[in-house]
Amino acid sequence: MVDEAKTKTPKRLTKKELRSIFLRYGIMTESAMSYEKMHGATWAYSYMPVGEKYYKDNPEAYKRLLTRHAVFYNTEPQTGQLVNGIVASLEEQIGMGNKEIDENVPVTVKASLMGPLAGIGDSVMQGILIPTLLSIAMGLSKGGSALGPVFYIVAYAVIATAITIIAFRSGYKLGVSAIDKLIGESAKRITNMFTVLGMIVIGGLSASTIAVTTTVKIPFGDKTKGLQEILDGFFPGLLPLILVLFTWWLISSKHYGPTKVILILTAVAAIGVLIGFL
Amino acid sequence: MNGTLFIQACLVGLLSYLGAVDCPWMYGVVGGFYILGRPLVAGLMCGLIFGDVQAGVLCGLAVQAVFIASMHTGGTSNTEITYASYGGIGLAMATTQNPAIAVTLAIFIGQTFGLLFYNLRMAGFSYYNHKAEKACRELDKRGLIMNQIVYPQIVTFLVRAVPVWAAIYFGKVAVQRLLDVVPVTITDIITVLGGVLPALGIAMLMNMLIKKKVELIYFCFGFVMIAFAHLSTVALVFIAALIAYLIFNMSGHNGQNQDDSSKVAVDTADEYEDKDLF
Repeated sequence: MVDEAKTKTPKRLTKKELRSIFLRYGIMTESAMSYEKMHGATWAYSYMPVGEKYYKDNPEAYKRLLTRHAVFYNTEPQTGQLVNGIVASLEEQIGMGNKEIDENVPVTVKASLMGPLAGIGDSVMQGILIPTLLSIAMGLSKGGSALGPVFYIVAYAVIATAITIIAFRSGYKLGVSAIDKLIGESAKRITNMFTVLGMIVIGGLSASTIAVTTTVKIPFGDKTKGLQEILDGFFPGLLPLILVLFTWWLISSKHYGPTKVILILTAVAAIGVLIGFL
Repeated sequence: MNGTLFIQACLVGLLSYLGAVDCPWMYGVVGGFYILGRPLVAGLMCGLIFGDVQAGVLCGLAVQAVFIASMHTGGTSNTEITYASYGGIGLAMATTQNPAIAVTLAIFIGQTFGLLFYNLRMAGFSYYNHKAEKACRELDKRGLIMNQIVYPQIVTFLVRAVPVWAAIYFGKVAVQRLLDVVPVTITDIITVLGGVLPALGIAMLMNMLIKKKVELIYFCFGFVMIAFAHLSTVALVFIAALIAYLIFNMSGHNGQNQDDSSKVAVDTADEYEDKDLF
């Protein structure tokens, strides 16, 4: 079967075909997302250009290509272009008739990379990049200015598009050797670096977004002084800090789900208002 | 029949589809879920639709604070941010234009109808996944495209745009009537809750990033820089980047000769800049 493909002189994928694979995956990643397959057969759709190029006269090989890319797959879709790039380079070799690469290699590469990449990708994109850009944007739109959302739209569109392109190119260029970079020691250092960055920014974010002030007045002789004023004197933002640490404790140590935490916070707010503390 | 409201509700419904996690048309999740789906951007869009950008951005700002750290990992979602954004902000813009009301509606819609529709769809799409997989085995290219993209997208459009449209078109009167009879204490609690709830999202981010309790010091550093030193977020990001970079360098000296591999990574990163591939 492979011999048939060999009768034609096999060529590498053209820029146009690579762009097609890149865009098909980038756009359609989650089009039919389900718990069972997640990105699943979007891969088969993405690799149709490979099939059209190498397996036009070999329907069995074309079928095997589509079928091996119809299995469960899930990772962070934007940084996930790295895996798409690696698989594109592998499928190109297989299509050109390179006997050293088994047809199962793309499948195992995908299965072994999706976990680590989702961990890094989700914490960098959703955990650090998006909250950071949003908190800058929220600062810009105080008072209802449209500048904030416009800034976020432009900044995120540019950065995220650049990330997808760079990830795909690196994956394609490095091929399987990208895996070492991804789960090796230096990758851990880079993740660690981003985690530190994220933790500091989130700390700042909680100071600027959580708004809890007390209305309690403390009598000083004839006059009264607001408790909030006293608190601000020695520790501004003490109440928001206590609140966020309490919520973190509920989630990390008590393992409460979000709905339960929302109910607890609602109870805190309600009791606080009713006893006249908040 | 209110013509203007009908059209406004249609537009908000359409945007709630375009900003969904599984909608491909805005360059996948880049322009869709991570831009149009963010409450701050939804606020701007609803502001444009209802003719009051300032009120829209203020509603978006309030809802965004609650969902600042909304995470969508491994296909599971703790809240449906797109239903929450467009349902909550859209309905608030159609009625009182009060940010606290927008937050309450967003949380209510996101945690109930939003999650319900989301989970039903995530389970139901298995049906199309199986048909797409069958199409792959039979080399039915049209079948693959129909079952992986066309049919699922029609379903997604129906379960997203229609409920949001209905919530705004039919919910306006109900919400207005409800607001007229709600006692002041309840609105007070809702306002306080709006300031308290961002703690949930931030705590969930902390849970993801903080592995050891001692790392809380990074978080506190960020908090103090905003609360005590009143830095802007942009300034904090640069300071955080500096600290992260120093840590990255230091971790290299402790390890073996990791410096070399990281230098290679940087060098190759420059290489990707060439325009050969695309």
